[in-house]
Amino acid sequence: MEDSRTLVALLFVFVPLSLVSIGGGPAVFAEMQHQAVTVHGWVTQRQFVDLFAISRAAPGPGALLATLIGWQAAGWPGALVVSLAFFLPSSIVVYVAACFWNRLRGSTWHRAVEDGFVPIAAGLVLAGALAILQSGGTDPLAGVIALGVATCRLWRPNFHPLILLGLGASVFAFVRALV
Amino acid sequence: MKISAVEATEPRPPRSASFAGLFVLFSKIALSSFGGGVSAWMHAALVERRGWLDETEFWSALALARIMPGANIVNLAVLIGHRLIGFRGAVAAVAGILVGPSFIVVTAATLYRRFAGAMILDAVLAGAAASAAGLLIGMGLKSSSRIVRKGPASKGLTAHDVGTIAILVATFALIGVLRFPTAPTVLCLMPCSLGLAWFGARKRPMEREYDGG
Repeated sequence: MEDSRTLVALLFVFVPLSLVSIGGGPAVFAEMQHQAVTVHGWVTQRQFVDLFAISRAAPGPGALLATLIGWQAAGWPGALVVSLAFFLPSSIVVYVAACFWNRLRGSTWHRAVEDGFVPIAAGLVLAGALAILQSGGTDPLAGVIALGVATCRLWRPNFHPLILLGLGASVFAFVRALV
Repeated sequence: MKISAVEATEPRPPRSASFAGLFVLFSKIALSSFGGGVSAWMHAALVERRGWLDETEFWSALALARIMPGANIVNLAVLIGHRLIGFRGAVAAVAGILVGPSFIVVTAATLYRRFAGAMILDAVLAGAAASAAGLLIGMGLKSSSRIVRKGPASKGLTAHDVGTIAILVATFALIGVLRFPTAPTVLCLMPCSLGLAWFGARKRPMEREYDGG
């Protein structure tokens, strides 16, 4: 019954984290680390850092770090329980908000709030890009690659992003291998 | 892309988008996004390629997704899926974003121990992250130019445009450079942005319909 106790413990840690993760997954990564490493010992500090790096590099949302912790703690059942516990409660909150929000569609208010959000969102995305670039220490090569990819996107919008991604990663690795 | 006022006032989301179709589309988006930048992939697929959402719908959903509790990308999937085909759309989009990548990330964690410390792998992953940041920058800059210039290009920058740029730059500076926490900062900037947009929405009620291209 050790396993089911772990699953319940995962549920009790990740449901509250889901509901307080205002601003996104990274807002609660510190608390997640505290709970998973110090309080429950599901992963070691070293494992947590590795899982963090993997969830960032792999495709999909970086918040899959939570799923990885569940997997490390209790295998596939753990991964499933944590995915539901961490992604479902916040999604329900957002869904309910979306329903209310949709009902106001067509009013001047609705349009003003949508328009008002737009420049803020653009600023947030640029800030997010900066955070990604700074996460691996300040590396001038990363900045050059990022600007190169951004320029290509603006200059040739029809060029497939996956090709750009592959090119960017290859050039980065090639230069690193040389220098 | 010019859209007539009649077409544009109708909801743009396609009735043809199915549960399975959205699941597959969001899976593809998520599985392409090595190194992050999922929202840039969503923008490319839904706004640029298919035109299912206009710029304002996408960016306002993105801002909302970022200040609500929950992973930003998952929240964005909820909002966009719901906007496209309602409840089923939200479920399909979230499942698409999470299911495939979960298997990938667990497989990656299993393999990681075997290949940990391989320099070339670390370099490729760092390069992918830098490129993903580049995709985000490209999306931000391209859309910014459309967001700011609402009026005809010949008119030059209006006071409204300058205000919009100021809010964009302030958001970037406060959260990106000075590392203020996202939600409270956005809530403080929102009154300024809302005031500006309120003024714009009342002054030019039909403008929204023409800013698609």
